[in-house]
Amino acid sequence: MMRRAGFVALSLLALASTAFSQSEAVIDDQGISFPLSAPPRRIVSLAPNVTEILFALGLDTEIVGVTRYCDFPEAALRKPKIGGLVDPNLELIKSMGPDLVIAFRGNPLRTVERLRTLGMPVFVLDIGRDLESLFPLIDKLGRITRRDKEAAALAAGLRARLEAIRSRLEGVPAELRVFLALNGQGLWSCGRLSYLNDLIALAKGRNVAGAVERDWLHFGLEQLVHVDPEVIIVLARTPAEFERGRDKFLKDRRFRKVAAVRTGRVFFLDENVTSRFGPRLAEALEVVARNIHPEQFERVP
Amino acid sequence: MSARARRLWLLIILIALLLAGLWFSLLTGPVRTTPGDLLDFVLGRDAANAAIFADIRLSRALLAFLVGAALSLSGAILQGYFQNQLADPFVVGASSGASLGAVACISLGLGVTVFGFSSQSVFAFAGGFGLVAFVYALSRRRDVYRVETLLLTGIAAGAMASALTSFLLFMKADSFEQAVFWLLGSFALADVRQAAAIGPWVLASLAAAQWFAKDMNLLVMGDEPARSLGCPVDRIRKVFLTLATLLAALSVSAAGVIGFVGLIVPHGTRIIIGPDHRYLFGFSALAGGVFLVLADLLARTLLFPTELPIGVITAAVGAPFFIYLLNRKR
Repeated sequence: MMRRAGFVALSLLALASTAFSQSEAVIDDQGISFPLSAPPRRIVSLAPNVTEILFALGLDTEIVGVTRYCDFPEAALRKPKIGGLVDPNLELIKSMGPDLVIAFRGNPLRTVERLRTLGMPVFVLDIGRDLESLFPLIDKLGRITRRDKEAAALAAGLRARLEAIRSRLEGVPAELRVFLALNGQGLWSCGRLSYLNDLIALAKGRNVAGAVERDWLHFGLEQLVHVDPEVIIVLARTPAEFERGRDKFLKDRRFRKVAAVRTGRVFFLDENVTSRFGPRLAEALEVVARNIHPEQFERVP
Repeated sequence: MSARARRLWLLIILIALLLAGLWFSLLTGPVRTTPGDLLDFVLGRDAANAAIFADIRLSRALLAFLVGAALSLSGAILQGYFQNQLADPFVVGASSGASLGAVACISLGLGVTVFGFSSQSVFAFAGGFGLVAFVYALSRRRDVYRVETLLLTGIAAGAMASALTSFLLFMKADSFEQAVFWLLGSFALADVRQAAAIGPWVLASLAAAQWFAKDMNLLVMGDEPARSLGCPVDRIRKVFLTLATLLAALSVSAAGVIGFVGLIVPHGTRIIIGPDHRYLFGFSALAGGVFLVLADLLARTLLFPTELPIGVITAAVGAPFFIYLLNRKR
């Protein structure tokens, strides 16, 4: 009850501050203040998750350039490309004549600086360490693009999905030990500073690499056997890739004593959905929650 | 062919290559531009492509030229200094020290500007000078100075600095782009302000090297003969070592570590025009500039739309050329 009251108070506060600053300015995650004037009409997005949110805000026509990794929603594939996340092409961006460039963590700060010296306004957003940070991210994008209403609706939808999963998992007796295997050479996983650590926690799992003060880390074979995860989640782009990733665990004799391997609880998680810090993380959360606690999703609540 | 004629020919060829390089640098890029657009821009008739021609492509070519000139001049000085054609800014530890300084500055999150230079460049100077001074001190025990000791100490200290640089880069998980920049170099973000910041220093260093070029000619005969001919050997050595380090630090802070230029360009130039430093310094600088302008053109067109780190090009083009020159000479 207290929690709900607190939430309402916070929302009111947020509402009040939005109303107050509507005609003022919005501050990006580098602390730079952007005065709000006319809505931007030519937006370049430098990151897939930003592109995704911009489309969700209904900015289809305003988006003039995206990265070569921007593949969601499908309409993003038809937008002109400006290069990649770490190597956006200055010349292409400049030639698009954007009145707003939106950068995200992963875009080199040197590139951001250079875009500014070329006379383009660059709004920089940082990645969060939990799913809750999606809300300020959506809010800021909504305000800088003057789509406050759409942003509020997107946030409300996301809140409802997260809430539905939370209520499903209410009263789960125990958290299971989870190892999340990222795509790539060796055993890459996420540490305490990654939002995926929070995602596992929200799904009532306990990240076995969660004690490490890093976002991404390389996990030792021996360590994995020692922590003995009960569930292994493999991030992969395709089912075929997942099968190869799964076999790395199931067919390796060194892992035969690991609980998840013995019980065969090795699950597929779509890398595309999971690796972008955007609203589709609710989807990822649901998949993870269903795999860790299938019993909670079988019965009608 | 007389030495004079060779120099004249080389000058003509280098200028022709420079003009061609600039022409293609200005006209090539992901945004389609025609010679007509370029003409409009040059005549100031059309501002539409001005940002792309001036702020992006020309800035880039200019910085590449200056960095190439600096690296190559640094190499020409060091090869004379050590009477050894294998010397270059890497071998004495100047480049590795400078990149360690710059990367340490970034990792420590220090951001101050001193005399219009970013803290990064200042740290690069400090790192380069620090490592070279260290190497110099170690190889100059009891006032006996030995070239081999200096070269070997330089290689070892340079390897140490590179290891530290890699360590710092590795500690920051999200700095892959930074790592590529500092280890292989790039002009992708070249800004005309960077060129303006290092340009005067490169020119001043060239003028200083030119001023002492006759002394360098004496120095290569050996310290004792040079001294008997009235050359203040110790002072001249200090001046040249400072110049070479300064040039290496300037280029590293502007474009990361670009290998091979300081080794092959002065070497190739010497094969063509001979060992007289009165000409070697100027020609090496010009040839180095032209070489990097062309190399950068390749770096940004070969794998279009992605860019290659320029260090990949300089090594891939430079090494075979170097082998060819060596064989031809024999």
